[in-house]
Amino acid sequence: MEYAVKTDSLTKIYRKATAVSDLDLAVPTGSIYGFLGPNGAGKSTTMKMLLGLVKPSRGRIFVLGKNVNHKNRLEILRDTGSLIESPAYYGHLSGRENLQLIASLKQAPAAQIHEVLRIVRLEGQQDKKAGQYSLGMKQRLGLACALLGSPRLLLLDEPTNGLDPAGIQEMRELIRTLPARFGITVLVSSHLLSEIDQMATHVGIINNGALIFQDRLSVLHEHSRSRMRLRTDQDEAACRILLQAGLPSICKNGVLYLNSGANDTVLRAVRLLVQAGIGLYRLEEEQKSLEEIFLSLVGRNSI
Amino acid sequence: MIMTHCFTVELKKHRRMHMWLIPAGFLAVLFFWAMFSHKNTDAYDLAQGYTNLFFQLPMLNCILMPLMLSVIASRLCDMEIKGETLKLILTLEEKGCFYDLKFIHECMYLFAFVLGEGGIMLLCGRLYHYTETLSLSLLLRHLALTFLVGAVVLGLQHFLSLLSHNQILPLLTGLAGSFLGLFSLYFPPVVARLILWGYFGAFLPYGMNWDRAAKQTSYYPVAFPAVTFVCFVLFGILLYLLCRWIFIKKEV
Repeated sequence: MEYAVKTDSLTKIYRKATAVSDLDLAVPTGSIYGFLGPNGAGKSTTMKMLLGLVKPSRGRIFVLGKNVNHKNRLEILRDTGSLIESPAYYGHLSGRENLQLIASLKQAPAAQIHEVLRIVRLEGQQDKKAGQYSLGMKQRLGLACALLGSPRLLLLDEPTNGLDPAGIQEMRELIRTLPARFGITVLVSSHLLSEIDQMATHVGIINNGALIFQDRLSVLHEHSRSRMRLRTDQDEAACRILLQAGLPSICKNGVLYLNSGANDTVLRAVRLLVQAGIGLYRLEEEQKSLEEIFLSLVGRNSI
Repeated sequence: MIMTHCFTVELKKHRRMHMWLIPAGFLAVLFFWAMFSHKNTDAYDLAQGYTNLFFQLPMLNCILMPLMLSVIASRLCDMEIKGETLKLILTLEEKGCFYDLKFIHECMYLFAFVLGEGGIMLLCGRLYHYTETLSLSLLLRHLALTFLVGAVVLGLQHFLSLLSHNQILPLLTGLAGSFLGLFSLYFPPVVARLILWGYFGAFLPYGMNWDRAAKQTSYYPVAFPAVTFVCFVLFGILLYLLCRWIFIKKEV
């Protein structure tokens, strides 16, 4: 598999505090890689290290197949676009003038300015001063800047931060279309699982600077195994019977669970209980949400 | 090639900032001062008109230039700070290159002010019909030294403005520099040499005698303080390099 971004034991230590620890990130080419983690987990530091804005304490970074170092950093970054934390803009210049500046620095053709304005739907506001833009418009301007120069890789750090629900939806739609329309690999960070769930193909979960999960999003979904919740007239006795039969069950806080959703296991459990004369009121399937998986992975009660 | 390209881009950023108004405004203050100081001139004053300017303008520069330079640096650096553009620009430009180019652009406005000051001197000669002949070498020396001291002060302001999230600190430094620069002229030379902003008045080509009885000012030539000059140039270079190094080391 080809990787647009790959890191090898990437570490950043500030004095005695480790912000990022031995991170082995692998972002497949053409994917939308959701970089997920609670606030302060090390997402922004990692992205800044990828862009050379923060110097790693140790480890190696490969971007678009090349080992990034001090000498080739700018050359490699010419093929990337970035939007870190909040949009960067010159408030006294119009949206178009901002793009002209960045296009000049990226040595991108001027014709691309119109194209990126169209993509982010800012054509109607291009002559307005960027300082007068709403946050959503500034964010779109930031994305337009990132798209200049036909980048092969886009690094977006919390691109929906501060946007209203409509803005979030719009930005998400926009990001989702990028790999198919322009062949861009997107590395997008967020602290919201639902956001990543709606646009990513791959996911990496970082907590306290360490990568605790990395794979396709579908693999994370597979973790959300279902279990059965049973309501009987004798929960304690029912639990004992199921356990004696070797079925994975638990009685917790007065609620009986069968920790499997497999048809044959459920069928066996129901037969056993009926044969033992236990009355079964209700049998419900419960699926572990992605949120619960995330929380169990990061070992927290709330995000 | 890339440096030239980035230079043009930096220039484009100044659009709609009306940056030329800053040196123009300070030159206007200088011109009004010149008009005011020529109110009661007699033949004696006109005979040493340029000498008088060579003595007085550096002192005025001590007051005006620190403030002007802090405003120039603050205006040009704040657009990067306010717009949080460093995290974008520094992925497209080398940090050191960005730092130097912005400084060069700030120096452009300093250069314009210095040229304007030279122009005001010539204008004064014309307007008030000085009878003294202007020494071109002294004029060039005055302008070059004003630019040099200005560039060193600007280097410090540039650094402070680029590293400050709030431009109050650099502007206050400029304001404090104006006061310190002025007061340093009254300090003993050893102490005065420790104050950066006072160097606008450190290379005066003339000393002054004030005849209380006749109420007349006379000037006498002063040898160029070569050692002070060399030390100051070295200090200026070291200060710039140190500030540049800190900026490069600082993570965005």
